[in-house]
Formats: sequence, C-alpha cells, structure tokens
Amino acid sequence: MNYLSDRIVLDHGTGGKLSGDLIRDVIVRCLGETHRGQMEDSTVLEWKADRIAITTDSFVLDPIFFHGGNIGKLAVCGTVNDLAVSGAKPLYLTLAFVLEEGFPLSDFEQILHSIRDAALEAEVYIVAGDTKVVKRGEVDKIFINTSGIGIFQPNDIHLSISSIRPGDDVIISGQLGNHSIHILSIREGLGFERRIQSDCAPLNDMIAGVLKEFGNRIHCMRDITRGGLGTLLNEISQLGGFGVRIEQVRLPILHETVMAADMLGVNPLYLANEGNVCIFASSGASKGIVETLRRHRYGEHASVIGKVLECDDCHVVMCGEGGEEKIVQLLQGAELPRLC
Amino acid sequence: MARYAILTNDLQYDLINKNEERRKQVERFAPSMIRFLKKMREMNIPIVHLQLIYDEDDNHAELHNGVLPVLRGTKGAMIAQDYLDDRDIIVEKNKDSGFFETKLDERLKVLGVDTIVITGMQTQICVQTTAADAYFRGYHVIVPSDGVVSTRDSDKQRALDWLASYCAVVSDLDSIERKIVDGTQFQFNVVPIP
Repeated sequence: MNYLSDRIVLDHGTGGKLSGDLIRDVIVRCLGETHRGQMEDSTVLEWKADRIAITTDSFVLDPIFFHGGNIGKLAVCGTVNDLAVSGAKPLYLTLAFVLEEGFPLSDFEQILHSIRDAALEAEVYIVAGDTKVVKRGEVDKIFINTSGIGIFQPNDIHLSISSIRPGDDVIISGQLGNHSIHILSIREGLGFERRIQSDCAPLNDMIAGVLKEFGNRIHCMRDITRGGLGTLLNEISQLGGFGVRIEQVRLPILHETVMAADMLGVNPLYLANEGNVCIFASSGASKGIVETLRRHRYGEHASVIGKVLECDDCHVVMCGEGGEEKIVQLLQGAELPRLC
Repeated sequence: MARYAILTNDLQYDLINKNEERRKQVERFAPSMIRFLKKMREMNIPIVHLQLIYDEDDNHAELHNGVLPVLRGTKGAMIAQDYLDDRDIIVEKNKDSGFFETKLDERLKVLGVDTIVITGMQTQICVQTTAADAYFRGYHVIVPSDGVVSTRDSDKQRALDWLASYCAVVSDLDSIERKIVDGTQFQFNVVPIP
C-alpha cells in the first residue's frame, strides 16, 4: 500500500494512475460487497417499479468522527432515511467525495468501512461514485454527497404532506437533539459527549415495519434533520394549510440534552437529529404505531407528541407543562453549523 | 469525609490579559482567590490547574486580535505565578472541559478525590463545562461565585444560575473554606439524572 502514500495527494483526484489505485485498492476494497459499480461513466440498473423516489444530500460534518459513527455512516443514513420516509424501499446510493489534500488515508478507510457497515444494515448498494481532491484548505478534510434511489411496489403508499388530515396524531420516534449536542460537545469539548450519543441510524427497517402494519393509516413521515422538529412542523403547517399543537411534556428529550441546550442557549426543538422520524397518522392507529416503533431498537423512545388541527392561521403551538401556550416559530437566526 | 480537590481553569497570562475588561475582572477576583488557594494548600488539599493549550491546527480556537493564544511553550500559556505553587498539579487540556481527552479524571481518582471545587475562568465556558463533565463522572461539584471570572457579569450570573440548577453547589469562597476547615458536609441538592 505504500505506493498510495499514507495521505491523500492531489494526484489521487486527477483521473490518472493514482486515482485508479485509490478507487480500486481503497474505495472498492473497503466497500466490499456493497459496491455494485461498473467502473464506467454510468451504471445501468434494471428493476421493475411503477414509481421511484430520488433524493440527494451533502454532508459537511465537523468533527468528521463521533462516538459510534462518522461522516460516512451519516452520509448513508441521511439519504436512506430521506427515501424511507417517502414510503419507498431504498435500494441504491451514489457516493461522491471531495477530499482535502493531506487527508490521512487511514481516516478515509475508516469512513469507507462505516459506509459499508451502514449500507449493509440498510440493505442498499453503492452503484456509482466520484472522487475529487482539492488543495489544502479548499475543503475541511472530507465532504460527501450521496444520492439515493428507492422503489415503490404497486400497492405502496406515497407518503406526502397532502395526505395529512386535521385530527391526525403527530408521533416522533426518538429523543430530540441528541445528535446535535453530541457533535457540538465533541467539537468544543463540552463534557456531554459521553452522556448524549448521536442517534445516527438507518431507519428504513423500522419504517418498513410500521408501514407494513399500519399501511394507509399513516399519512406522512418526515426525517427530523436540519432545523429540527420546530422547523419541520412549521413547514408542514404552512404547506398543508393547517395548525399543529404539541404537548411539551410529551416530547422525549434526554435530561442531559435539556442541560446542554440550556447551557448553550439553544432550543432542542430546533436541533438536528439523524435517526428520528416524525409521523402523521390517524389518531386511532397512533397507539399501535408507537408500540410497534418502541419494539424496534431505533424507536424505543417513540411518543405521540401532538395533533394536527383545522385552523386558518397555520400556527404550530406548544402547550407547556402549566397549560400555557406559545407559538413555535420558524427557526430565527443562524443555525448551528456543520452538524450534518 | 469528603476528599477535596481545587480546580482552576485557564489562569494563564494570555487569557487573563485578553482585554482590559477581562484584566479588571481578574484583578477583582485575585486577592480572595490567592488567599483561598494558600489555605487549601495548608490543608494539603490538592490544587489542579487546568492549562488550556491550543493546537496550531485547531480551527475552532478563538483568536486574540488575529493571533492564536496559549500555544505550547509560550509565556502566555503559562499559569500565572500568583496562583501557582511547586506542589500544584498542572493538567493540560485542549478544549473547554478539563476532562475532555485529558488525564484529569485519572489524576483525581489516584488522589481519591470525590468532591471538587471548580474555579477560574470563564464561568460560562470552561467552568460550566468542566462542572457538567465532573457531575456526569460522579463527582460532587462546588463552584464559588467569587472564585470564578467572566468578562461580562451577565454571563457569569447566567452560568452560576445554570450550575446551581443542574449540577453544583454554588457558594462563596469564605463559606466554602469554612465548611472544608470545619469538616461540615455540603448539601448537594441537585437534580438527579433520571
């Protein structure tokens, strides 16, 4: 392996011999059985489906490693989850890297192994990729883009905001804010990183399970990522033309996350998650949905947190512990940077 | 019987002299703090100075007038002589919490410490994060309101309120000293983690 050197150099991105060596001897080798690329200008895939879902996302996480994962795992889970919440079965991912000159090859391999592990868990294949190398300082270590394709079977429901109805219950599958606080704590050394772990995980298995059991009683799902639950509910409310009321006491938030958020002056409602979905479903089904979610290892903190309301002003309202109500605004000001 | 240690945060020349406001706040805190440290040494209570050292490639480090402070080996990174004694322990850290990827926990455990008094600056950053980290690691935490420094008083008060709410006994240096000398137990009336 010495001919590759132990760090990324500009020649790894030129398309010449070193590029080929990097792709063949590092990337393809580390991705193992999850790699289904054809090493041509494009990959041709055959499948039978009436409809497909396509999504893309870029990942600029800082720091790139966290407890239980890294930017590679995040790049797989983020895209898999975006596909899964539409009701599609994720199948294929593309994988593009922008690497900084000097980036340690051992770190790159560790990230690739995480990509492989996450892809194996999510049962998706890497079918195409790209690697660019830029001069030192032009990116910070490594940026990743993944695009994903998922398929719908003929009877699969396409989950969408337009299907949400007043009276639907609002359910979330996990605790709010843990990913953000974990990453911030590692970045700054805040002391919370051992107590609060990132929730980064591929949720497609959990989502498929709940869809199989509750089918068309689930109307919409959204991945609670950047901007957090507060932003998501405002988007839903404005696009769907209804109100949402949530109960503060029902929000699953770890005590340590409350501490950290209070210290940092941030609201957990606006913190990014990477393994948490928000489900809008018929109220008669919500108890069963929560029970099903809680049986899955990524859904053990699932909870009904509120309700969709018929109203004209499209507000998201949070009812506090003492019964007081306050409007959950759209996120104001700068978002915490580079958490995903 | 509690086994105490006193932690100081960032009492280093570069950080004390960051600007005029900071210098004035430190001047105000110094006499009682130095006296407190002297008394603790007389009682053979270990003093641990947390020394912030920035890595040259740390892109999160705060620059002072465009210059990276507290670089290893520089005068500015040294613990200010007024607070230092030959018997004191210095633990290097690179981030806010004194426990983050340092030997602090290990050193305190070797000393048998179960209760720590966290002092120094700034209250809303290093003191607060070190206190949270200590609490999560099972230490009893005490923070003297006049043994900590922030450039802005409002930041200090907000941090002290947070500490008292979540993880520490907040008192003043004289009261803390009296209790330690007398062997009186502190009442750690903090919210337990569920």
